Amino acid sequence: MAGVSLQDRAWSPYLAGIVIGLLQVPAFLLVETALGASSSYVTVGGLLASLVDPAIGRIDYVARHLAATGKNWWQVALVAGIAIGAFASMRLSGARRHAISPAWGRALASRSSGVRYAVAFIGGFIMLFGARLADGCTSGHGLSGVAQLAVSSTVAVAAMFAGGIATALLLRRV
Amino acid sequence: MSLAHYILIGLTMGVVFGFALEKSRVFEPGIIVGQMQLRTFIMLKVFLTAVATGAVVLALMHGFGLVKLAPKPTLYGADIIGGLVLGAGIALAGACPGTVMAQVGVGYRDALVTLLGGIGGAIAYGYAEPILKPMLLTGGPGRITFADLAGVPYWMLALGLAAILVAILYGLETWRPWRGEVGRDVDGLADR
Repeated sequence: MAGVSLQDRAWSPYLAGIVIGLLQVPAFLLVETALGASSSYVTVGGLLASLVDPAIGRIDYVARHLAATGKNWWQVALVAGIAIGAFASMRLSGARRHAISPAWGRALASRSSGVRYAVAFIGGFIMLFGARLADGCTSGHGLSGVAQLAVSSTVAVAAMFAGGIATALLLRRV
Repeated sequence: MSLAHYILIGLTMGVVFGFALEKSRVFEPGIIVGQMQLRTFIMLKVFLTAVATGAVVLALMHGFGLVKLAPKPTLYGADIIGGLVLGAGIALAGACPGTVMAQVGVGYRDALVTLLGGIGGAIAYGYAEPILKPMLLTGGPGRITFADLAGVPYWMLALGLAAILVAILYGLETWRPWRGEVGRDVDGLADR
Protein backbone atom coordinates (compact mmCIF):
# COMPACT_ATOMS: atom_id res chain seq x y z
CA MET A 1 0.00 0.00 0.00
CA ALA A 2 2.80 2.38 -0.84
CA GLY A 3 1.64 5.94 -1.24
CA VAL A 4 -1.56 5.60 0.81
CA SER A 5 -1.80 7.85 3.84
CA LEU A 6 -4.42 8.76 6.41
CA GLN A 7 -3.85 12.36 5.32
CA ASP A 8 -4.90 11.77 1.71
CA ARG A 9 -7.86 13.78 0.48
CA ALA A 10 -9.12 10.78 -1.48
CA TRP A 11 -8.43 7.06 -1.56
CA SER A 12 -9.10 4.80 -4.46
CA PRO A 13 -12.72 3.59 -4.33
CA TYR A 14 -11.33 0.06 -4.46
CA LEU A 15 -9.23 0.43 -1.30
CA ALA A 16 -12.13 2.08 0.55
CA GLY A 17 -14.54 -0.59 -0.72
CA ILE A 18 -12.27 -3.37 0.53
CA VAL A 19 -12.08 -1.76 3.98
CA ILE A 20 -15.89 -1.47 4.09
CA GLY A 21 -16.38 -5.04 2.87
CA LEU A 22 -13.97 -6.37 5.52
CA LEU A 23 -16.24 -4.90 8.20
CA GLN A 24 -18.52 -7.89 7.56
CA VAL A 25 -15.94 -10.01 9.44
CA PRO A 26 -16.45 -8.41 12.88
CA ALA A 27 -20.17 -7.89 12.14
CA PHE A 28 -20.77 -11.61 11.56
CA LEU A 29 -18.20 -12.98 14.02
CA LEU A 30 -18.69 -10.64 16.97
CA VAL A 31 -22.25 -9.35 16.60
CA GLU A 32 -23.77 -12.22 14.57
CA THR A 33 -25.39 -9.76 12.21
CA ALA A 34 -24.68 -8.08 8.89
CA LEU A 35 -23.61 -4.50 8.27
CA GLY A 36 -26.68 -2.24 8.19
CA ALA A 37 -27.74 1.29 9.09
CA SER A 38 -31.45 2.01 8.70
CA SER A 39 -32.81 -0.03 11.65
CA SER A 40 -31.02 2.35 14.00
CA TYR A 41 -33.35 5.14 12.87
CA VAL A 42 -36.31 3.18 14.27
CA THR A 43 -34.45 2.66 17.56
CA VAL A 44 -33.59 6.35 17.93
CA GLY A 45 -36.86 7.61 16.40
CA GLY A 46 -38.92 5.22 18.52
CA LEU A 47 -37.13 6.37 21.65
CA LEU A 48 -37.70 10.06 20.84
CA ALA A 49 -41.35 9.50 19.86
CA SER A 50 -42.02 7.52 23.03
CA LEU A 51 -41.22 10.64 25.08
CA VAL A 52 -44.26 12.31 23.51
CA ASP A 53 -46.40 9.23 22.82
CA PRO A 54 -45.58 6.27 25.08
CA ALA A 55 -48.12 4.18 23.07
CA ILE A 56 -45.63 3.87 20.18
CA GLY A 57 -43.62 1.48 22.35
CA ARG A 58 -46.56 -0.93 22.29
CA ILE A 59 -46.35 -1.33 18.50
CA ASP A 60 -44.56 -4.68 18.06
CA TYR A 61 -42.30 -3.44 15.28
CA VAL A 62 -41.12 -0.42 17.30
CA ALA A 63 -40.82 -2.46 20.51
CA ARG A 64 -38.47 -4.91 18.74
CA HIS A 65 -36.21 -2.01 17.76
CA LEU A 66 -36.34 -0.40 21.20
CA ALA A 67 -35.38 -3.57 23.06
CA ALA A 68 -32.05 -3.34 24.89
CA THR A 69 -30.41 -5.96 22.66
CA GLY A 70 -26.79 -5.92 21.55
CA LYS A 71 -27.75 -5.79 17.86
CA ASN A 72 -30.06 -2.76 18.23
CA TRP A 73 -27.58 -0.63 20.13
CA TRP A 74 -24.57 -1.92 18.19
CA GLN A 75 -26.14 -0.42 15.07
CA VAL A 76 -26.92 2.91 16.74
CA ALA A 77 -23.27 3.07 17.85
CA LEU A 78 -22.09 2.08 14.37
CA VAL A 79 -24.01 4.93 12.76
CA ALA A 80 -22.74 7.42 15.37
CA GLY A 81 -19.21 6.14 14.74
CA ILE A 82 -19.56 6.90 11.02
CA ALA A 83 -19.83 10.62 11.83
CA ILE A 84 -16.76 10.45 14.08
CA GLY A 85 -14.70 8.54 11.50
CA ALA A 86 -15.65 10.93 8.69
CA PHE A 87 -14.84 13.91 10.91
CA ALA A 88 -11.41 12.47 11.77
CA SER A 89 -10.63 11.72 8.12
CA MET A 90 -11.68 15.21 7.05
CA ARG A 91 -9.54 16.85 9.75
CA LEU A 92 -6.52 14.74 8.81
CA SER A 93 -6.74 15.58 5.12
CA GLY A 94 -7.89 19.16 5.45
CA ALA A 95 -10.74 18.60 2.96
CA ARG A 96 -12.98 21.19 4.64
CA ARG A 97 -16.52 21.43 3.31
CA HIS A 98 -18.94 24.31 2.71
CA ALA A 99 -22.07 24.47 4.89
CA ILE A 100 -23.99 23.10 1.89
CA SER A 101 -22.35 21.26 -1.00
CA PRO A 102 -22.09 23.30 -4.22
CA ALA A 103 -23.70 20.25 -5.85
CA TRP A 104 -27.08 21.51 -4.61
CA GLY A 105 -26.77 24.91 -6.25
CA ARG A 106 -26.46 22.97 -9.49
CA ALA A 107 -28.98 20.17 -8.87
CA LEU A 108 -31.75 22.38 -7.46
CA ALA A 109 -30.91 25.47 -9.57
CA SER A 110 -31.16 27.51 -6.37
CA ARG A 111 -28.64 28.85 -3.88
CA SER A 112 -31.32 29.22 -1.20
CA SER A 113 -30.52 27.18 1.89
CA GLY A 114 -34.26 27.09 2.69
CA VAL A 115 -34.96 25.27 -0.57
CA ARG A 116 -32.17 22.80 0.17
CA TYR A 117 -33.39 22.20 3.74
CA ALA A 118 -36.92 21.48 2.49
CA VAL A 119 -35.65 19.00 -0.12
CA ALA A 120 -33.26 17.43 2.42
CA PHE A 121 -36.08 16.88 4.94
CA ILE A 122 -38.40 15.32 2.35
CA GLY A 123 -35.52 13.25 0.96
CA GLY A 124 -34.53 11.99 4.40
CA PHE A 125 -38.13 11.22 5.31
CA ILE A 126 -38.96 9.10 2.26
CA MET A 127 -35.48 7.55 2.28
CA LEU A 128 -36.06 6.04 5.71
CA PHE A 129 -39.72 5.23 5.10
CA GLY A 130 -38.71 3.35 1.95
CA ALA A 131 -35.75 1.66 3.61
CA ARG A 132 -37.90 0.39 6.47
CA LEU A 133 -40.61 -0.81 4.07
CA ALA A 134 -37.97 -2.65 2.03
CA ASP A 135 -36.40 -3.86 5.32
CA GLY A 136 -32.96 -2.49 4.49
CA CYS A 137 -30.94 0.27 2.88
CA THR A 138 -27.79 0.61 0.81
CA SER A 139 -25.92 -1.14 3.63
CA GLY A 140 -28.27 -3.86 4.86
CA HIS A 141 -29.72 -4.81 1.47
CA GLY A 142 -26.97 -3.43 -0.74
CA LEU A 143 -23.66 -4.38 0.86
CA SER A 144 -24.79 -7.25 3.06
CA GLY A 145 -27.80 -8.72 1.28
CA VAL A 146 -26.30 -8.83 -2.19
CA ALA A 147 -23.07 -10.37 -0.80
CA GLN A 148 -25.25 -13.04 0.84
CA LEU A 149 -26.94 -13.60 -2.56
CA ALA A 150 -30.33 -12.82 -1.00
CA VAL A 151 -33.17 -12.66 -3.53
CA SER A 152 -34.98 -9.96 -1.51
CA SER A 153 -31.90 -7.71 -1.45
CA THR A 154 -31.14 -8.07 -5.14
CA VAL A 155 -34.73 -7.04 -5.96
CA ALA A 156 -34.63 -4.14 -3.47
CA VAL A 157 -31.27 -2.84 -4.76
CA ALA A 158 -32.46 -2.95 -8.38
CA ALA A 159 -35.58 -0.99 -7.35
CA MET A 160 -33.44 1.43 -5.33
CA PHE A 161 -31.26 2.30 -8.32
CA ALA A 162 -34.33 2.55 -10.58
CA GLY A 163 -36.02 4.97 -8.16
CA GLY A 164 -32.79 6.90 -7.64
CA ILE A 165 -32.01 7.27 -11.33
CA ALA A 166 -35.58 8.28 -12.23
CA THR A 167 -35.61 10.93 -9.48
CA ALA A 168 -32.10 12.24 -10.14
CA LEU A 169 -32.93 12.77 -13.80
CA LEU A 170 -35.62 15.25 -12.67
CA LEU A 171 -32.90 17.32 -10.99
CA ARG A 172 -30.48 19.57 -12.90
CA ARG A 173 -27.11 18.11 -13.89
CA VAL A 174 -24.59 18.25 -11.04
CA MET B 1 -21.17 -9.78 26.06
CA SER B 2 -22.77 -6.82 27.77
CA LEU B 3 -24.57 -4.01 25.99
CA ALA B 4 -21.53 -1.78 26.59
CA HIS B 5 -19.36 -4.23 24.65
CA TYR B 6 -21.72 -4.16 21.67
CA ILE B 7 -21.75 -0.36 21.76
CA LEU B 8 -17.95 -0.22 21.87
CA ILE B 9 -17.67 -2.64 18.94
CA GLY B 10 -20.27 -0.62 17.03
CA LEU B 11 -18.47 2.67 17.64
CA THR B 12 -15.10 1.23 16.60
CA MET B 13 -16.52 -0.32 13.43
CA GLY B 14 -18.42 2.89 12.69
CA VAL B 15 -15.26 4.99 12.94
CA VAL B 16 -13.56 2.71 10.39
CA PHE B 17 -16.69 2.77 8.18
CA GLY B 18 -16.92 6.57 8.34
CA PHE B 19 -13.21 6.99 7.68
CA ALA B 20 -13.43 4.82 4.55
CA LEU B 21 -16.61 6.59 3.37
CA GLU B 22 -14.90 9.96 3.72
CA LYS B 23 -11.70 8.87 2.00
CA SER B 24 -13.61 7.32 -0.91
CA ARG B 25 -15.68 10.56 -1.29
CA VAL B 26 -18.76 8.38 -1.81
CA PHE B 27 -20.63 10.33 0.88
CA GLU B 28 -20.52 13.52 -1.24
CA PRO B 29 -23.93 14.66 -2.55
CA GLY B 30 -22.20 15.45 -5.85
CA ILE B 31 -21.04 11.84 -6.12
CA ILE B 32 -24.32 10.22 -5.05
CA VAL B 33 -26.52 12.43 -7.26
CA GLY B 34 -23.84 12.19 -9.97
CA GLN B 35 -24.07 8.39 -9.81
CA MET B 36 -27.85 8.46 -10.09
CA GLN B 37 -27.49 10.80 -13.09
CA LEU B 38 -24.96 8.31 -14.51
CA ARG B 39 -22.30 11.02 -14.70
CA THR B 40 -19.81 9.63 -12.18
CA PHE B 41 -19.34 6.04 -11.13
CA ILE B 42 -17.47 6.28 -7.83
CA MET B 43 -20.51 5.17 -5.83
CA LEU B 44 -20.86 2.03 -7.96
CA LYS B 45 -17.11 1.34 -7.67
CA VAL B 46 -17.10 1.56 -3.86
CA PHE B 47 -20.38 -0.35 -3.60
CA LEU B 48 -19.43 -3.23 -5.90
CA THR B 49 -15.94 -3.52 -4.35
CA ALA B 50 -17.47 -3.74 -0.87
CA VAL B 51 -20.00 -6.33 -2.08
CA ALA B 52 -17.25 -8.41 -3.74
CA THR B 53 -15.07 -8.21 -0.61
CA GLY B 54 -18.02 -9.10 1.61
CA ALA B 55 -18.89 -12.05 -0.65
CA VAL B 56 -15.32 -13.42 -0.43
CA VAL B 57 -15.05 -13.13 3.36
CA LEU B 58 -18.55 -14.53 3.86
CA ALA B 59 -17.83 -17.40 1.46
CA LEU B 60 -14.76 -18.28 3.55
CA MET B 61 -16.38 -17.82 6.97
CA HIS B 62 -19.53 -19.68 5.92
CA GLY B 63 -17.58 -22.34 4.06
CA PHE B 64 -15.59 -23.09 7.22
CA GLY B 65 -18.78 -23.14 9.29
CA LEU B 66 -17.86 -20.08 11.38
CA VAL B 67 -20.97 -18.02 10.69
CA LYS B 68 -24.65 -18.35 9.85
CA LEU B 69 -26.04 -16.29 6.97
CA ALA B 70 -28.97 -13.99 7.64
CA PRO B 71 -30.66 -13.17 4.31
CA LYS B 72 -33.75 -10.99 4.65
CA PRO B 73 -37.20 -12.45 3.89
CA THR B 74 -38.34 -12.08 0.29
CA LEU B 75 -41.44 -9.86 0.09
CA TYR B 76 -41.61 -8.72 -3.52
CA GLY B 77 -44.16 -5.92 -3.04
CA ALA B 78 -42.35 -4.39 -0.06
CA ASP B 79 -38.93 -4.88 -1.64
CA ILE B 80 -39.92 -3.20 -4.91
CA ILE B 81 -42.07 -0.35 -3.54
CA GLY B 82 -39.73 0.23 -0.59
CA GLY B 83 -36.70 0.13 -2.88
CA LEU B 84 -38.19 2.65 -5.32
CA VAL B 85 -39.12 5.06 -2.49
CA LEU B 86 -35.71 4.57 -0.85
CA GLY B 87 -34.00 5.35 -4.17
CA ALA B 88 -36.07 8.51 -4.69
CA GLY B 89 -35.13 9.57 -1.16
CA ILE B 90 -31.43 8.92 -1.79
CA ALA B 91 -31.50 11.15 -4.88
CA LEU B 92 -33.24 14.03 -3.02
CA ALA B 93 -31.17 13.61 0.15
CA GLY B 94 -27.93 13.11 -1.80
CA ALA B 95 -27.18 10.51 0.85
CA CYS B 96 -28.08 7.06 2.15
CA PRO B 97 -29.03 6.27 5.75
CA GLY B 98 -25.35 5.51 6.50
CA THR B 99 -23.59 8.18 4.43
CA VAL B 100 -25.75 11.00 5.81
CA MET B 101 -23.84 10.51 9.07
CA ALA B 102 -20.54 11.01 7.22
CA GLN B 103 -22.02 14.25 5.83
CA VAL B 104 -22.88 15.31 9.38
CA GLY B 105 -19.33 14.46 10.45
CA VAL B 106 -17.66 16.66 7.84
CA GLY B 107 -19.96 19.56 8.70
CA TYR B 108 -22.60 19.64 5.96
CA ARG B 109 -25.37 21.57 7.67
CA ASP B 110 -28.20 20.29 5.46
CA ALA B 111 -27.27 16.74 6.47
CA LEU B 112 -28.67 17.49 9.94
CA VAL B 113 -32.00 18.26 8.28
CA THR B 114 -31.77 15.05 6.22
CA LEU B 115 -31.08 13.18 9.46
CA LEU B 116 -34.13 14.77 11.13
CA GLY B 117 -36.26 13.86 8.12
CA GLY B 118 -34.92 10.31 8.32
CA ILE B 119 -35.82 9.97 11.98
CA GLY B 120 -39.27 11.36 11.13
CA GLY B 121 -39.65 8.85 8.31
CA ALA B 122 -38.67 5.97 10.60
CA ILE B 123 -41.20 7.10 13.23
CA ALA B 124 -43.91 7.41 10.55
CA TYR B 125 -43.08 3.90 9.36
CA GLY B 126 -43.34 2.63 12.94
CA TYR B 127 -46.92 3.91 13.10
CA ALA B 128 -47.72 2.64 9.58
CA GLU B 129 -46.23 -0.83 9.92
CA PRO B 130 -49.29 -2.53 11.53
CA ILE B 131 -51.45 -1.17 8.67
CA LEU B 132 -48.98 -2.17 5.94
CA LYS B 133 -48.35 -5.62 7.37
CA PRO B 134 -51.39 -7.47 5.97
CA MET B 135 -50.91 -5.78 2.57
CA LEU B 136 -47.18 -6.02 1.92
CA LEU B 137 -45.35 -7.76 4.71
CA THR B 138 -46.75 -11.28 4.82
CA GLY B 139 -46.34 -14.40 2.69
CA GLY B 140 -43.58 -14.66 0.12
CA PRO B 141 -41.03 -17.43 -0.39
CA GLY B 142 -39.07 -16.61 2.80
CA ARG B 143 -35.34 -16.07 3.34
CA ILE B 144 -34.14 -17.45 0.03
CA THR B 145 -30.81 -16.90 -1.69
CA PHE B 146 -29.74 -17.52 -5.27
CA ALA B 147 -27.56 -20.35 -3.94
CA ASP B 148 -30.73 -22.05 -2.62
CA LEU B 149 -32.47 -21.54 -5.97
CA ALA B 150 -29.50 -22.86 -7.95
CA GLY B 151 -28.95 -25.73 -5.51
CA VAL B 152 -25.22 -25.03 -5.18
CA PRO B 153 -23.17 -24.30 -2.03
CA TYR B 154 -23.19 -20.64 -0.99
CA TRP B 155 -19.40 -20.30 -1.04
CA MET B 156 -19.21 -21.41 -4.65
CA LEU B 157 -21.77 -18.91 -5.96
CA ALA B 158 -20.44 -16.12 -3.70
CA LEU B 159 -16.92 -16.54 -5.08
CA GLY B 160 -18.40 -16.62 -8.59
CA LEU B 161 -20.23 -13.35 -7.91
CA ALA B 162 -17.02 -11.78 -6.59
CA ALA B 163 -15.15 -12.84 -9.74
CA ILE B 164 -17.82 -11.32 -11.99
CA LEU B 165 -17.81 -8.08 -9.95
CA VAL B 166 -14.01 -7.82 -10.24
CA ALA B 167 -14.32 -8.14 -14.02
CA ILE B 168 -17.03 -5.44 -14.09
CA LEU B 169 -14.91 -3.15 -11.87
CA TYR B 170 -11.90 -3.67 -14.12
CA GLY B 171 -14.02 -2.60 -17.09
CA LEU B 172 -15.45 0.41 -15.19
CA GLU B 173 -11.99 1.60 -14.16
CA THR B 174 -10.65 1.25 -17.72
CA TRP B 175 -13.63 3.21 -19.04
CA ARG B 176 -13.71 5.89 -16.30
CA PRO B 177 -10.52 6.10 -14.17
CA TRP B 178 -11.47 7.15 -10.62
CA ARG B 179 -8.87 9.91 -10.39
CA GLY B 180 -10.66 11.73 -13.19
CA GLU B 181 -13.98 11.46 -11.37
CA VAL B 182 -13.25 12.81 -7.87
CA GLY B 183 -12.94 16.43 -9.03
CA ARG B 184 -10.60 19.23 -8.00
CA ASP B 185 -12.32 19.76 -4.64
CA VAL B 186 -12.86 15.98 -4.14
CA ASP B 187 -16.64 16.43 -4.27
CA GLY B 188 -17.32 14.69 -7.57
CA LEU B 189 -18.13 17.95 -9.33
CA ALA B 190 -16.51 18.81 -12.64
CA ASP B 191 -15.14 22.34 -13.05
CA ARG B 192 -17.67 24.62 -14.65
